[in-house]
Amino acid sequence: MSDLAPDPVSCMDADFEHNTKANAARRRFLQRIGVMGVSALTASSLPMNVSRGGSLLAADIGSSAASDEPVSGVSSERRWGLLIDTSKCSAGCDACVRGCHEEHGIGVSGNDHTDAQWIRKIDLEDNDSGETMSLPVMCQHCETAPCVDVCPTGASFKRADGVVLVNKHTCIGCRYCMLACPYKARSYIHEPVTDQLSRAPRGKGTVESCTLCVHRIDDGQNLQPACAVACRKDAHSAIVFGDLNNPDSEISKSIREHDAKQVRADLQLNTAVRYTGL
Amino acid sequence: MTNTIKFVLLLLGLSFTWVSLSGERGPVIPQGKGEVCVADTDFMRRNHMDLLVHQGDDTVIRGLREGPFSMADCVDCHVRHDDQGKPIRIDAEGEFCSTCHEYVAVSIDCFTCHAAVPDAKEPGSAHNNDHESDKNHRHRLAEQP
Amino acid sequence: MNSTVRYIAFKPRNVSYYCVILLCLLTMISGGYCAYMMEVSGHIITGMNNHVAWGLPHVFAVGLIVTASGVLNGATCASVLGMEVYKPVARLSVVLASSTLLGGLTVLVLDLGRPDRLLLAFTHHNFGSIFTWNIFLYTGLLLICVVYLWMMMEKRFNRQVTTIGLAALVWRIVLTSGTGAIFGLLTGKNIIDTALMAMLFVVLSLVLGTAALVLVTILLKHWQSTQVDDELQKAFNRMQLLFLLVLGIFSIVYHLINVYARQDLYVPLFTLTGGLTTMFSVVYVLTGLLVPLGITLYLLKKPGGIYKQIASSIMSLTGGFLLLYIVIIGSQNQAKILFPGKTVLASRFGDGGFPAYVPSVWEWGVGLGGVAFSFFIFLLLIRVFALIPESQPSTVSKLI
Repeated sequence: MSDLAPDPVSCMDADFEHNTKANAARRRFLQRIGVMGVSALTASSLPMNVSRGGSLLAADIGSSAASDEPVSGVSSERRWGLLIDTSKCSAGCDACVRGCHEEHGIGVSGNDHTDAQWIRKIDLEDNDSGETMSLPVMCQHCETAPCVDVCPTGASFKRADGVVLVNKHTCIGCRYCMLACPYKARSYIHEPVTDQLSRAPRGKGTVESCTLCVHRIDDGQNLQPACAVACRKDAHSAIVFGDLNNPDSEISKSIREHDAKQVRADLQLNTAVRYTGL
Repeated sequence: MTNTIKFVLLLLGLSFTWVSLSGERGPVIPQGKGEVCVADTDFMRRNHMDLLVHQGDDTVIRGLREGPFSMADCVDCHVRHDDQGKPIRIDAEGEFCSTCHEYVAVSIDCFTCHAAVPDAKEPGSAHNNDHESDKNHRHRLAEQP
Repeated sequence: MNSTVRYIAFKPRNVSYYCVILLCLLTMISGGYCAYMMEVSGHIITGMNNHVAWGLPHVFAVGLIVTASGVLNGATCASVLGMEVYKPVARLSVVLASSTLLGGLTVLVLDLGRPDRLLLAFTHHNFGSIFTWNIFLYTGLLLICVVYLWMMMEKRFNRQVTTIGLAALVWRIVLTSGTGAIFGLLTGKNIIDTALMAMLFVVLSLVLGTAALVLVTILLKHWQSTQVDDELQKAFNRMQLLFLLVLGIFSIVYHLINVYARQDLYVPLFTLTGGLTTMFSVVYVLTGLLVPLGITLYLLKKPGGIYKQIASSIMSLTGGFLLLYIVIIGSQNQAKILFPGKTVLASRFGDGGFPAYVPSVWEWGVGLGGVAFSFFIFLLLIRVFALIPESQPSTVSKLI
């Protein structure tokens, strides 16, 4: 983000740079006003009151921060997905689950049926061959997501980059999406939550699911989701994250190479989470 | 009967006048960190809710997390700490959000989900270590330009 | 039969009338307390979990809403189909329908995770969702009921009653189909499932509504002499017989299709769903279908058995609610099959199966509170407005 608009303050005194956190926050604010100014100039879809507020503020400060670069954000040019190599995933290992819980500050009360289940491990045995395998199941980030179709308020939605999320600002907790999801990927928050992390807001009475670690995606530093990081740290590297729309990406190449499959492909949901060795 | 009602209404009106004239000039709001807020205090008082809602939509739907009116930044600046140095929830009684919100009797629908204290930053903390080290290593994807 | 009916406010002075009001109030208060507890503690205190996300409150809510639609059939028969015999209960039917609908909606809202955000459901819409359409269908029916009643009561508008009655008829058929589609339109179900579910709900609503109307008219007559005669009860009985038969046929077809589809991963609802639902299936077929069918058939030959009619109606109501329990809970109460051809060896989240849903006392409280709320509003409205047909010497019934 920092390269989006020229920082009107960065050319000031050097000691300004070393000043307090409040000043840093202020600097960021000025930067962002630049961003807002751009968005006002390019007549983006900001609601009236705020776009007015933004441009008004920018005018107050006399920022000429208009830049040629567009406001970033999610883009439909990418579609994020996961590839899970079941041959590398081992039964009994739940590093990905723990990694997810730590990343999002999810506490475990011990009741598996009411606790958050963003990602779960399943051990399977093939009925014909007797072959066993283990794999994680999380929100499959369907292209045509049933949870998005059924949500009455539109709180369950698909971002432009294919990540299926719950907008907790508009979720009324009707739980219809949980009935609709064929993967049981959605969890309802049954108890009051108090010790949230600022990167993962979650609270009683709303529905949640795997976010594909959007806060990491949006970070712009090409961070991997917490489950993939935890899996690699545990020396399995069974989870690969990447852009499904880019035919040259590692994930796209692997999917082609190993003929990766979707869970319940018969439902024709075009999931963004794929599995090899299924 | 109607006279009684009129009298009661008159009394009510008078009592409101008395309350509004009786010296109380609104809540005393704890000072935040630094010199100024991200925008004028008057502007923030009137518009913070719209700004936060808009920022929320930007973040959740458009993935724009660096907006100027980030909830986490608000909490960072306006949170206060107790004698042991532990942060006090920003929506706790007498703290930044609740002093005003209680005065105007408006409930806050933020902190049932959002963190009401800044994230813990102890170096020993497991998840912070994990997150930071991950950030430092910056596992870049091969396909990214 | 006199075609001009005089309507009066319903102000009986029986002890049992006041007892029922008191009982309604107590149930409402305890229901409110249960809803408050669910709101404060979260759904953790209920039997619901991440497998069974819709529990007993939904059974009550959907039951009441569907009953409301069926109750309105009394008014439809009178004002659209022009059946004189239903005229005395036309207003009553509209009032009972709106109060039942209100009770059902209250339960539905109180069971939300964030009931405080109710307004959001009216400001943010996703018109791709059948649920959104239902929100408008429910509130719309309430509005139609108000207008309907107004036109019935205002002499000037009496001629428009047929029009609004027709609108109500179409509206409620769409409404019940829509409610059924909520459960039929889920991913992993097929088209036949949806269509059948919609029709099943339409028929179920007629059975429930007729039973409720029969019980209420008998009860009101018990409290205060009203113009509800043998002919009307006979007509109700004939109607109920027809509805029960159709419901039976739909139940059989639905069951057969599910058993057939079992081969394609879809689990039959009427069998093998575990817990209470299996037991309920048996009880539903017996008390919800067979016995009421027998009684209505008997009453067709030998009319006038008031207690038989009461028994049959209560059984139809209970059976209908059991059927809803089977449809709503049964469809969630089994593991979804993620990996066909593979057996789940281990899962933290019951992918191989999980304990059956058991409703908690809080859910019962909210559900029964909704029923009490419906009936209370009904008693209140008929006390305030002139909605009950006044008994006339020539038509005093020999029923009681």
